[in-house]
Parts: sequence; C-alpha cells; structure tokens
Amino acid sequence: MSDFLSPRLDFLRATQNADGGWGFFPGKQSWLEPTAYALIALHRDPASRTNFERGWNLMRSWQLPDGSWKPCAAVQEPHWTTALCVTLHGLRGVHDQPFQRGLGWLLTTSGTENGLRFRFAHFLRPSVVELDPSFKAWPWRPGNASWIEPTAHALVALKKARSAGTNPRIEERIRLGEKMILDRRCGDGGWNYGNRKVLGTDLPSYPETTALALLGLAGNRALNLRAPLEVALRYWRETRSPLAKALLSVSLRSHSIAVTPADLTILGEKDTLINALEIIGASGVLV
Amino acid sequence: MKRRQFLQAGIAGASASQFGCASHEPIAAGPPGQSAVAILKAASYSADLAGLLRRGAQLCGLEAKGKRVLLKPNLVEFASNAAINTHVAVIVAAVELFRSLGAAEVLIGEGPGHRRDTIALAEEAEYRRVITQFDSIFIDLNRDDVSPVRGFADLPEFYLPNTALQADLIVSLAKMKTHHWAGATLSMKNFFGLVPGSVYGWPKNQLHQIGIDRSIADLQRVFPRSFAIVDGIVGMDGNGPIQGDPKSAGVLVMGSDLVSVDATCCRIMGIDPERLEYMRLTAERGHVHPGRIEQRGESVQSVETRFALIDSLKNVRLS
Repeated sequence: MSDFLSPRLDFLRATQNADGGWGFFPGKQSWLEPTAYALIALHRDPASRTNFERGWNLMRSWQLPDGSWKPCAAVQEPHWTTALCVTLHGLRGVHDQPFQRGLGWLLTTSGTENGLRFRFAHFLRPSVVELDPSFKAWPWRPGNASWIEPTAHALVALKKARSAGTNPRIEERIRLGEKMILDRRCGDGGWNYGNRKVLGTDLPSYPETTALALLGLAGNRALNLRAPLEVALRYWRETRSPLAKALLSVSLRSHSIAVTPADLTILGEKDTLINALEIIGASGVLV
Repeated sequence: MKRRQFLQAGIAGASASQFGCASHEPIAAGPPGQSAVAILKAASYSADLAGLLRRGAQLCGLEAKGKRVLLKPNLVEFASNAAINTHVAVIVAAVELFRSLGAAEVLIGEGPGHRRDTIALAEEAEYRRVITQFDSIFIDLNRDDVSPVRGFADLPEFYLPNTALQADLIVSLAKMKTHHWAGATLSMKNFFGLVPGSVYGWPKNQLHQIGIDRSIADLQRVFPRSFAIVDGIVGMDGNGPIQGDPKSAGVLVMGSDLVSVDATCCRIMGIDPERLEYMRLTAERGHVHPGRIEQRGESVQSVETRFALIDSLKNVRLS
C-alpha cells in the first residue's frame, strides 16, 4: 500500500502553493475544493504535518461572515465546498466557533425546489422534471436547486458533525437529504447529477455521481443499498475515468467494500483531486 | 408575471423550461449593414474538412494572424450511437485552419455541464487520441482560474475562466442540435461551456435560474470577439441536446456574427429563429432577418433539412 500512497503524498506535498492551498492542477490558483480534499488526504500523515497546517490556516481564513466558505480567493460568494470544510473539522475533532458557524450555514441552506414558487410550478407541470420537491437538500450555491453532489457532501459533513453533540436539526436534515438522494435514483440503478427523468425520458446514471450518492447514504444501516452498490462495483470495474474510479474507491470504502487501488496514471499525477481522492480511498481516512 | 414566465422561472430550479417563444412582435433590425455567413456542403466527416474551412474562412473574410485563439467545441456527454458532441474531425480541421492563418496560439477549451471528468469525456469522444498533443493545448474550463466580470444578468459579479477572458478570438465549434428548452443549441448556446463548474456547479444551475435565453444573450455580449463554425454534418433532432436522434444535414456553417450564423442554422433546420427568445434578445447585436444576412457558398434552400421537433416546440417551426 505504501508504494501506492507514497508517490501521491509526495505529489500533494510538492504541489502545495505558497499561500498554503492547492490548485486543481499544479501551478494554478488555489481553490477550496482541491485544498480540502488534499487536507483530508494528508490529515493523518505525520510527514505532512507542516503542509497540513499551512493549508488548514488558508482554509480557515476563507470563511465568510455568514459561516459559509468561499471557493477561492477571487470569488466572494458562499459555496457548496463549505461541506468539505465542516467534514474536515469533524475529522479533526475541532468543534470550535468556525465549525459551529459552518454547520449552522449548512443547516439553514437548502435548494429552491423546496420553495413555494417551484412547488407550484412543479404542481402545474410535474412531467417536465420528475422529482419530489418536498425533500430539503443542498444546492451548489444559495439560490439554486438541490443536486446530488452538494447534497452528498453535506450529508457526510452532518454525519461527521454528530460527534460534536446531538442536534435534532442535524438528524432532520440528514433524514430529508437521504430521502432526496433516494428519490433521484435513475432507472438504471445509479445516480446522475440529479435528474432521473426529464420530459418523460429516463436519463442515465454516471459513475462519479453514483459514487457520491452512495457516499452520502453511508452509515444508514436501515437502507438496503445492495443493488446500487452492485452498480457502483460494476462502474468501478468498467469506468475509464480516473476521477470516477477514485470517487468510487472512497464511496465503496465508506460501505466497507475495499477495492484494489488503481494503477498510477500519468493523468493522475497532474490532477490534485484524483491524487487526493486516491489517497482517501486507499487509506480510509474519511471513514 | 405572466403564467408562462412564472412556469419558466419556477421549473428552472431543477432544470429549465422555455418551450420556445410565441411572440409575434417585430424583431430588432440589428446593427447597420449585413453579416456574411458561409454555408458549405460536407457529405461526411471524411470529406476534406480543412479545405472546406479554409474556403469558409475566405468567404467570411476571417483574420486570425497573431491572435490567441480559443476553440470551444460542444463536448457534453458521450454515447457511441449519438451525435451529441462536435465531431473530432471538425476540431482537427479548425486547429489546422487557425494555425495556417497565423494565430499566435490555438487552444481548445471546454467545461461540460454534467460530467466532472472533462479529460475522460474528451477521451471517450476520441479528442485525446486524434488531436495531436491534445493534453498540451486543452484547458478544462470548469477548473480554470477565474476572474469577475460585471453586468452579467444584473449580477454584481459573474465569474468566467481566464483562458476565455484573455483570448483574442473565441471560436464556437458548435453542434447543430435541437434543444428541448431553448429550441435550438448552436454557436451562442455553446458558450454555456465557458461558465466554470468550479463556481457554478454541475449542472451550471445559475444559468437556469437567470433564464437560459437571458444567459445565452449575456454570454454572447460578454464575448464579442468570436467566430462560429457549426458542425451540421450530422446534427441532432427530436429531444436534443442529448437524447435526440442523429440527423444528417451535411453542412458546415461559418461566420463572425454568431446571431446570423445561428439564424441561418435555424432556417436550415426548419426552425423560425424569430420565434426563439434568445434570438430576439441578441437581435440588437447581430442580424436575424434574412435580408440582412449575406449568404455565401451554398444557399439555405439548397441545404434545408427539416429537423424533427418535440411537441412543446411545434410553435417554433418555420412555416
């Protein structure tokens, strides 16, 4: 396993920007998403302690007054990556004021489909996009509808936040968020970005979003996820996308299914997300 | 707010709902003069596409010497039996064209709206295998560095990729397709792929919240230094832009006025461009009226190919 992890850990340490963050690709502007994934990947690695602290400090400095996090230095707006920051705090057991404010933002943020205007429009034309608007889930950014990926990340964050103490609002949002994910499952058994049927036509699922949906549902033992996990395993065997494969590794691990790490690829060497996710999937640091 | 507008704004939360535009009000005349649009017949992707694009460039008076050129294909999703994406042969021919015209730099950039792994998608669409040194000239616009622009859809700031903002010329290498919300997706709608997923997500739901038509119009306004090459050799009809059926039109359509190029493509497809809301919104900056479009190469009539429309778009059919 160290043969697999070492080059990826080396890659992350070598490509950290001067401000402490990571770009999506080496030498590019720091973004919160690759920075958060890199920090999750490094947070238990003793040799990466200095790198972690520099990245952690940058991440903490990007929190906005409303408790959310912005996605990069250039963009001054709340963003779904807030969930990754809350997860990271949960993994470290840091339940301080910034964590509480981030958690509060997640608990008060939901998609516009839950609002009156959308619900009435959907009532008039339900076949345009088939979904149940009663479930409260998460958007990519405030003012938008809910989608699978931000909802999955928010669920992971809230489930980690349980360790900070019981909060009935957390349990309620987890319950509704999981229902939204289950409601948006495609006819082929997996998930896409969040529309299972549009204008009466079934839409196909994707490997990467199937991985994320299952990641969001992990930990709920009352759910029978055998069939979608089989879909995820098939995707893991067949997909040619290194990003999807890495996400599937993380997701399957969260359901106690270990898969053999993928080979090192030239593409993976250049992509922060892929390297970080491959570490997370192989080492189980998110579980 | 009218009932139709209410529906559009509401459903936009999860996707979007436009269903064409039924307005019969006169469309704006556009700027002075005429716009040249070249129509070139190409029976298949094994035709001499580089030669055809060179001829089209001459017909349109295209100049690219010393310019930083960004080629923006339509790379959305992949299905082996569907005509979703701009064909790789058209991109190869475009790279060759702009290099031969003396462009200082030719890059290819795309930010797909649904799929996270742009490179894997490019591989499935054969872009990586066929386009020489693809990895060194391709930019994933979903994950590019960004800068704010002002005045987009009345937002204080809207973020766009630096590669696009710094280009001297953006070439919309669009696919000729019907679109179940907007009516048709052509060179202007193709600019949705310039909007970064890293800020706006997958899908870029903010554009639906603003309204698809308004977003198309504002992107066209933000990127005025542009040129269009529409791949209509095999397009898509029916429930486009993804679930529709392949439709051979056997044409390439080119021009520097994207409004005119799209209006011409609509007429080729049997769609009335004046019934599309985004054409009406862009008509002040380009020409929609056929009398203001100088058709070069083939005539519209000689290549007309009636694209099938879903029921909700029957009102945009060219009569």
